[in-house]
Amino acid sequence: MEVLTGWWDDFFWGSLVVVELFFVALILTVLFGLIGSAAKLSKNRFANAIANGYTIVFRGTPEILVLLLFYFGSAVALTAIAQVFDPEVKFVDFPPFWAGSLAIALIIGSYATETFRGAFLGVDPGQVEAARALGLSNLQTFIYVRIPAMWRLALPPFGNHMLSLIKDTALVAIIGLEETLFVAEQAIGYTAKPFTLYLVVGTIYLGFSTIITLTVMLCEKYANRHLEIAK
Amino acid sequence: MSFDLDLILDSIPKMLMGLGLTLQLLFLSLAIGTALAIILLLMRISGRWFLSAPAMVYIYIFRGTPILVQIFIIYYGLPQLELVRESILWPILREPFGCAIVALSLNTGAYVSEIFRGGVLGVDRGLKEAAAALGLSARQRFIYITAPIAIRLSLPAYSNDVVSLMKSTALASTITLLDMTGIARTIVAETYAPYEVFLSLMVIYLVLTWMIQRSFGWIEKRMSRHVRSEI
Repeated sequence: MEVLTGWWDDFFWGSLVVVELFFVALILTVLFGLIGSAAKLSKNRFANAIANGYTIVFRGTPEILVLLLFYFGSAVALTAIAQVFDPEVKFVDFPPFWAGSLAIALIIGSYATETFRGAFLGVDPGQVEAARALGLSNLQTFIYVRIPAMWRLALPPFGNHMLSLIKDTALVAIIGLEETLFVAEQAIGYTAKPFTLYLVVGTIYLGFSTIITLTVMLCEKYANRHLEIAK
Repeated sequence: MSFDLDLILDSIPKMLMGLGLTLQLLFLSLAIGTALAIILLLMRISGRWFLSAPAMVYIYIFRGTPILVQIFIIYYGLPQLELVRESILWPILREPFGCAIVALSLNTGAYVSEIFRGGVLGVDRGLKEAAAALGLSARQRFIYITAPIAIRLSLPAYSNDVVSLMKSTALASTITLLDMTGIARTIVAETYAPYEVFLSLMVIYLVLTWMIQRSFGWIEKRMSRHVRSEI
């Protein structure tokens, strides 16, 4: 443990970056998932095709490749744009935090698209018809009827997506974001104790996974509270 | 910024030279991981706490931490321990290839054993009771009744995991291995053309994903041919 002396605060800030990245990516994931599932369920063939292409590409290629493409791709594009204005500029890079959260959110969002699509299809059509009969508008039906019924169905698989999401945040160290894995690499440079330090990173992630698992369990209990009486 | 077609035509054969390594990583760790998964499954359903508890802890740890951290602990971390350097496993753990195989197998084993467990739990109780009534021993019941049905039930989830494993092999490039992603990263470092190289590599991975899904689709169809004949 003495290896960690002087590195505790770095690991703390690194963990905080992981948490930030997780929440930013989570919000974007839900957004991409909702848009993707809406596109898949719509009658518009063009929207269907785009959404299908999206899920095929992002579910079928390695996460690290998407991340590298986003980071280096955006850097090349930004540098080219900057050089139009100022030919002296050598290299402009997109902040790794945003390249990372966008790439991860697009990847997990493609999985969430399928989950949300299934959950929306699982909502009893009778409830939607009842809402229509009561005179609720499309938006009202969506917010008050479809969403509350669908999130209960989507929660268990979405919990797994959140676990994948937290684990994918480790990849962002590869493009140089100062999160826990990156901190460990720096600390190893000084202490030459890679096993201990990577084990610390593993323990931090295990803690995050545990918190997510427990939170999802609580949410599931909350979502199904009306079924408790029936037991 | 321009899209260099010659570079794409030039780099695709180079990246395909890493296909052999990618496939070796995939098939070797799939075989070892599946064997490990069966052992873990048997431990979990054994009904003895001293067997099921270690298996549960193992699965919890390997599913709760990022595969990248696991790879780093094994490749960079283990040599710190004298115990490892003097063990008979050292020739394997000294090489990045061996480390990648070990990390990917240990990781897949944890995921696949959960899939198999789902399959075993999905087998109809009545069938097992019928087998018991016919006088089959517990071992015979598992081999002749539970296992064949459980395998069929877990195939769709298993195929998803094979795709995940294929995507994880790309992480071997982080420990100096020159698989397809490793070669692509080298080319990008030289040419600084991320779009051309990474996008064409994504297409190659998509073809691999498609091939895995098609093969499993064929196996699934074949394994449930008795269901179709009834209709």
